[in-house]
Amino acid sequence: MAGKESSLWKMCLVLTVISIAAAAGLAAVYEVTKKPIEESQNRKRAEAINKVLPGFAGTTETVKVMPPTGKDSVTLNMAYADGQLFGAAVETYTDKGFGGAFTLMVGFDSEGKILGTEVLSASETPGLGDKINADKSDFSKQFAGKNPAEFQLKVKKDGGDVDAITAATISSRAYCDAVDRAYQSFMKAKEESHE
Amino acid sequence: MSENLLQVSGAPHVHNGESTKRIMWTVVIALLPAFMVSIFYFGLPAIILTAISVGSCVLFEYLIQKFVLKTKPTISDGSAVVTGILLAFNVPSNLSWWLVILGAFVAIGIAKMAFGGLGNNLFNPALVARVFLLISFPVQMTTWPEAKPIWNFGFADVVTGPTPLGILKEGVKNGGTVSQLMGSESMPDYLQMLVGQMGGSFGEVSAIAILIGAIFLLCRKVITWHIPVSFLLTAFVFAGILWLVDPTQYATPWFHLLSGGMMLGACFMATDMVTSPMSARGMLIFGFGCGVLTIIIRLFGAYPEGVSFSILIMNALVPLINKAFKPTPYSKQ
Amino acid sequence: MSKLQILTKGIIKENPSLILVLGMCPTLGVTTSAINGLGMGVATTFVLLLSNIMISLVKGVIPDKVRIPSFIVIIATFVSIVDLLVQGFVPALAESLGLFIPLIVVNCIVLGRAEAFASKNGIFDSMLDGLGMGLGFTLSLFIIGACRELLGSGAIFGHKFIAGDGILIFVLAPGAFFVLGFVMALVRHLQNRKK
Repeated sequence: MAGKESSLWKMCLVLTVISIAAAAGLAAVYEVTKKPIEESQNRKRAEAINKVLPGFAGTTETVKVMPPTGKDSVTLNMAYADGQLFGAAVETYTDKGFGGAFTLMVGFDSEGKILGTEVLSASETPGLGDKINADKSDFSKQFAGKNPAEFQLKVKKDGGDVDAITAATISSRAYCDAVDRAYQSFMKAKEESHE
Repeated sequence: MSENLLQVSGAPHVHNGESTKRIMWTVVIALLPAFMVSIFYFGLPAIILTAISVGSCVLFEYLIQKFVLKTKPTISDGSAVVTGILLAFNVPSNLSWWLVILGAFVAIGIAKMAFGGLGNNLFNPALVARVFLLISFPVQMTTWPEAKPIWNFGFADVVTGPTPLGILKEGVKNGGTVSQLMGSESMPDYLQMLVGQMGGSFGEVSAIAILIGAIFLLCRKVITWHIPVSFLLTAFVFAGILWLVDPTQYATPWFHLLSGGMMLGACFMATDMVTSPMSARGMLIFGFGCGVLTIIIRLFGAYPEGVSFSILIMNALVPLINKAFKPTPYSKQ
Repeated sequence: MSKLQILTKGIIKENPSLILVLGMCPTLGVTTSAINGLGMGVATTFVLLLSNIMISLVKGVIPDKVRIPSFIVIIATFVSIVDLLVQGFVPALAESLGLFIPLIVVNCIVLGRAEAFASKNGIFDSMLDGLGMGLGFTLSLFIIGACRELLGSGAIFGHKFIAGDGILIFVLAPGAFFVLGFVMALVRHLQNRKK
């Protein structure tokens, strides 16, 4: 081993220099990657909004609403086209998933009819719960075109209208829970904006 | 399943005149009553699946011993036959044949031969295969055909239905109480559960037939009473305590004894001599662990049934149990 | 030891995950597909290469008593750099590897090579060592990932060979142990035969 002498001032000096160099290096890389990271996150979000609000071209405005159930607030991207409320893309969540919490984006038209749903992040079991993803099964497609006012957001086993994924009732239930939270939040946001 | 005779424990080596072969065929005979009941309730598919399972287990054992390990095949000792029957007994009767063959490969190739073959396997081969299939093919492995007496069994329309444990788990989760669920239409009564008219893996349904087989094994001294009794008693007492605490949430202890794979597991799977402890005290602890884990998984776990998991977990602890509770040498008795 | 041996010893003879059994967390955790294994391997190789070079460079000035903290700061810096770069330029990989990239910092291989090799050898040798170890790690992760993807989802690099699901256990945690065990056994078998 080199550097046999371990006097206090030398140890402090070496560690300080290394830390400063590390901080400088990290800061430089952070500056370079800041924009691409932001862009990729924005792009991902824009893509998700586009998917759940098909045919929408206009501006979005972000509001946060505390849903009637649940521990955390829900982010709504209120979508306006020609000054009129087109609908909203709601970033909703559930903590009832089989693999913990997962987040969804749910699109509504101005009346509250579901236009589309999209999984943002989830860690459901491969082959079972991950069928909530649109590329794995048609489960998530059954929501489009339904209005939760008359479409019971519960799996059929629990007396609702949703066809659950075979052998993944827990994930299906959690999905319904998330969509329902999105709906409740959207209704609440609409009410608040009228006042 | 008495491969233990091939394991060398401490001296002196007492020869009791039994051979692995004789013990294995005794186990096969002991499984016959349960097999009869499965044919009665699940018909021809039960026979076909058992034949496929036994055939492929024996074939894989032969091929691996001959071509991979390059040793003299020992298929005539019957251990692969027992594994095959137990594997088949642990799957639904409408399972695809190729899944059974895959299970046989896992049982023999991975759980038995990869560990060094007969006597060296840490885990019960049939259970490893069953859990492998359950995790890999959850839909196929949990679609249970309804048990119907053979005279009104139609081949065209196999109706599938839930298992009693499945009904209970699902129901309680949705806010139902146990007494409501017990009265529901698809729930068998205790008599039906005793004889085996319920949904489930086709060899596990009949408690009475399995008990007859187990008593036969006890009389022939192939198994001892320690593991089945401590397994079942622990499960009964533990489930009983919970039932006394809250009878709306937890089913009766006798329901737990009669449902699922409890009987088959306690009498035929946990007693496998290779994968269970050697001493009597060790066996009692082993059975206790299996019983506690089974009830915990059944009542608080994600799966409705926990017998296979609990036996496998306890299998993993057997070397430790053997270390802590060594069989007493003859000189000290 | 020749330069070539330093480079190649990490690939089979001292393969980090198959022979030295180091870095089991990523080996078991991220190898659910060939591309994940490859991505994780490349990211680790990058960190190994840079940290080995850097530690070999500064080994003369670091006092003995603070060498481990210094190594950790250097490694952590490179890991953070990789993390930012992956997030910025390969967002898809960042999503599937998730938390495992920051966790490279606690991968025993990186600190192990720093302590066992780079702190005692010249820059060029340390570079070769880091590269070789990284390649060996990448190779084993790729093989395990490919086997698991093939068996577990019937696909290779996302190209499906069979419709529907594979043998699900292989994309779940137990399957990682099965495949790792069999690959290790195979490598040992081949090594024994060579002798």
